[in-house]
Amino acid sequence: MGGDVASARGASEPKRRLGRAWRLAIAVAILGLLAVLVSPLIGPVPIPAEVVLRVLFGSAHPCAGYVSSAYSCSAARVIVWEVRVPEILLALIAGAALGISGAGLQGIFRNPLADPFLLGISSGATLGASVVLVFQVGIREANLVLPLFAFLGASGTGGVVVLLARNRYGSVETLLLGGVAIASFLSAADALMLLYNPALSLQVDYWLLGGLGSASWSVDAIATSLVVAFGTVLSLYGPELNLIQLGNDVAQSAGVSTNRVRVIVILLASVVTAAAVAFTGIIGFVGLVSPHVIRRTVGTDYRIVLGGSAITGATFLLVARDISILAFPSSVLPIGIFTAFAGVPFFLYLLLRQSRVTAMGAGS
Amino acid sequence: MTAGPALRLTDVTVRYGERIALRDLDLSIARGEVVALAGPNGSGKTTLIRAVLGLLPLDRGSIEILGEPLASLSIRERARRVAWVPQGEGARDDVRLADYIQYGRYAHREPWSGELSTDRAAVARALSAAGLADRAQEGILSLSGGERQRATLARALAQEAPLLLLDEPTSHLDIGHQLDFLGRVRQLARESQVTVVAALHDLNLAARFTDRVVVLSRGRQVADGPAPEVLSEDLLRRVWGVVAERRIEPQTGVPYLIPRRLVEPPRGDDPLAGWGPVHVVGGGGSAGPILRMLADEGARTTVGVLNLLDSDAELAEDLGLPSVIEAPFAPLSEAVRRENSELLARARAIVVGPFPVGPSNLANLADVAPFVGRIPVFLAQEPPISARDWTGGRATEVWNRLLAGGATPFATPAELGDRLRSVAGGPIGRPVPADRSHVE
Repeated sequence: MGGDVASARGASEPKRRLGRAWRLAIAVAILGLLAVLVSPLIGPVPIPAEVVLRVLFGSAHPCAGYVSSAYSCSAARVIVWEVRVPEILLALIAGAALGISGAGLQGIFRNPLADPFLLGISSGATLGASVVLVFQVGIREANLVLPLFAFLGASGTGGVVVLLARNRYGSVETLLLGGVAIASFLSAADALMLLYNPALSLQVDYWLLGGLGSASWSVDAIATSLVVAFGTVLSLYGPELNLIQLGNDVAQSAGVSTNRVRVIVILLASVVTAAAVAFTGIIGFVGLVSPHVIRRTVGTDYRIVLGGSAITGATFLLVARDISILAFPSSVLPIGIFTAFAGVPFFLYLLLRQSRVTAMGAGS
Repeated sequence: MTAGPALRLTDVTVRYGERIALRDLDLSIARGEVVALAGPNGSGKTTLIRAVLGLLPLDRGSIEILGEPLASLSIRERARRVAWVPQGEGARDDVRLADYIQYGRYAHREPWSGELSTDRAAVARALSAAGLADRAQEGILSLSGGERQRATLARALAQEAPLLLLDEPTSHLDIGHQLDFLGRVRQLARESQVTVVAALHDLNLAARFTDRVVVLSRGRQVADGPAPEVLSEDLLRRVWGVVAERRIEPQTGVPYLIPRRLVEPPRGDDPLAGWGPVHVVGGGGSAGPILRMLADEGARTTVGVLNLLDSDAELAEDLGLPSVIEAPFAPLSEAVRRENSELLARARAIVVGPFPVGPSNLANLADVAPFVGRIPVFLAQEPPISARDWTGGRATEVWNRLLAGGATPFATPAELGDRLRSVAGGPIGRPVPADRSHVE
């Protein structure tokens, strides 16, 4: 009775917080939608917006009224449908993949520094790519074989780490250290391989920097199906991750099979990341930052953080693509460079703002 | 759920590597009982709780919860039977309290299903049992320490498990919140027939709020029963190494313990720690500050001859010091003087307190004389002997003889401490092997 009255009083404050959170969520969603709408207009080859729109809406004569020597009208159609749209889709899928696996791993490790590449997944992918380039494995079909090997290297590394995680009473720290050790081992193996063929290391480096250049409808179909299938399962692990934030022992006492959840989440995050990385190379920072953006704005409930990080990651990568093209129209900048350049200042801003709020909170 | 006690441990042994943390433990706890687990740090209380939660592998033995072997239950099934309030659960994120407590419903929900009305009702009950019904919408980090501990309790209660394990639930709380928290737990046990097992350091809280106290020491169970039977001065001396005084609260019959000192004083760099025995000749309340100083320094101390009604005698008893005591107003008997002389003979230093000397206790002073020059003797000179001589000058005469023979005068207990330290750390103090016979 008294509780009802009091809860009505207590409700006003979080309601305001919730309102702020929703405004932010809506802002991100609008930004994402806007990016999706604007992105097809942006590309290294200048095509008038009206032409792009006509192509998109299936006009029979998209170039009517425009005279251009830079490209033929059929080229415009190809550029929009076979380059720009697949690239946009790949940016969205890869961003979502990195965002959700970053959130999953940060949750499992209760560590805000965890990211999709924490456990050596990037080293595994790099090794896979190097094997293809050095040994010329199926090099004729490099567009498919290289991603395949990168995928196997990345998800295989995740699998090895998961084997470490299966020790029932093993700690998260053991797992982290094991992952770091495996990453070092794979990097060493990679370096050894490239030693015999130094000319290729530039190629590997370029692949490492990450880009959306390999996007095509078939690539997108593969990446999308993998990321959507495994990412959806991963997104359902919110309640377990919420309890794990209170400590693995507490989670277990509340009914979470922490060991199994750990294995599943790491495996799913590895596969999802591998599916993206195989086609884009290593794109840093998206997986680290996206969960933080959600936690610091919408809240720490992992039922929301997982999906929210996917949306944030997708938006982030797409916007990064657009800005990098607008800023350097003549050269195709590897997008991994750009995500770091754009992401780090924003991330530092968030950190500083947060610590000021915390300091103020502690003083009261 | 099947029959059987709420919790039964049979021959349970748990090891951490070579170290045995729990040894051959047999324990049965009936439904609705409120049981305190007591014992010094490292005695196995937390290990026992973690073993019952299934967080530790058993080296040997078995654990049954409500008649079902723990090993045969899945993690989810365990969570529906046993809930846990750990030591200082750290919610680091500012989760809404209602959501935080909702986490406790995990074991009752189908995988990947949303919350049902039964979940919401359980959360509401847990909130009101913890006295947090009006805070449900607030962020958990905005709660005070006491409220946060109750929030952890509510999270555990939302599990609706018949067995509730508490690990040092009150160690971070002020006394008001301690009483509030344990009072709520007690009420829960009574109203909802929840069985409670709580590791508690505070024996007085254990005596007050539990039906039964199980005492562990070095992984073994050393006592089990209602607090008035279990919590004895002897147990504290044996298990905690503490000399304590036990009193009974007359209104309730609940025992309470006042710790006085360690049986084995800490041996630090202080040369006085563990050194002795120092025999203090006192009486009439004059030796109190000296006895306290020696107890604080950790010196082994004996006292004599004291008067039965004397406050020095009371203090000596509280501190557990071997002492020689005579009936009031009687002259010192031969037997008592002999006893005192034995302690004097065993001492490595003698301290003569500033006691008033009358005809009946002049012997107290005189008996010190044979030891002057053989071992260090210290004489209190504040107040001066002339001011407390009720023997017409004979006491002053003896006192001056002691001084002339080589006894050292001192003004304050602190000064005495310094002088004793230099004796204990010096060439006289060191070579003699420690004599511990007076303790036994």
